[in-house]
Amino acid sequence: MATTTIDAPQTQDSSLSQEGCYVALTSSPLNIPSITDRVRSPQAGAIVLFAGTTRDSFDNKPVKELQYTAYAPLALRTMLDIAAALKAKHGLKGIAMVHRLGVVPVGEESILIAVSSPHRQAAWRAGEEALEECKARVEVWKREEFEAGEGVWRANRDGARGERVD
Amino acid sequence: MASKPPPGHFNILYFASAGSYTSKNVEALPAPLPLRKLFDTLEERYQGIRGSVLDHSLVTINLTYVDVPDDEAVEEGQEVVIQEGDEVAIIPPVSSG
Repeated sequence: MATTTIDAPQTQDSSLSQEGCYVALTSSPLNIPSITDRVRSPQAGAIVLFAGTTRDSFDNKPVKELQYTAYAPLALRTMLDIAAALKAKHGLKGIAMVHRLGVVPVGEESILIAVSSPHRQAAWRAGEEALEECKARVEVWKREEFEAGEGVWRANRDGARGERVD
Repeated sequence: MASKPPPGHFNILYFASAGSYTSKNVEALPAPLPLRKLFDTLEERYQGIRGSVLDHSLVTINLTYVDVPDDEAVEEGQEVVIQEGDEVAIIPPVSSG
């Protein structure tokens, strides 16, 4: 049975930031107050926060745990591109996105996105777009280990089932 | 992330299903290598990888996405060649979130 291991260097924490944008990868549990503080601004009337959590099943099959791996330097670059584009498009005061790597126990946060803007409409929209863009583009991969023993690499594209790994 | 490749080689990184197929995360391959030969080179080493993995994957060289041309369809002077010390990566469909 092939097992996929994640190299230690890939799970090391890393981040990038520029004018009002912060993106990071971490192998530690995600912290909601700290990402909220990253976008807090006296000019903002709204902070919208999205927390993606790991689900315990796929197609009714019980999932034991999830594991994320990343091409860290490229994933950070893509996340920063997304953040900067949305900040400009929606006139955000701040945007922060953090993805967790390594094993993420079921029910815990795997991604946090926080955006702040003067008014709530822009923040709602930007938060949703940020997540969709991340799921489509960021070079992070999720592997689901099923209770039954096998595991699959998931693909976000067209809800693909991913490739079975025995 | 990976250690430097030995002289005359480039590193290739295998993510997700590419890593499962090759049973490794990284290896060094001889450089220079024309980009259009990359998939043939990998298919030779890992039979079936083209259909299972490469056909649905993207490729980066030094963190920039590149188009992998068909073997025959490269005009002279347009050839992209993977150089010694480059970092190439196989990027299967992503699944963040």
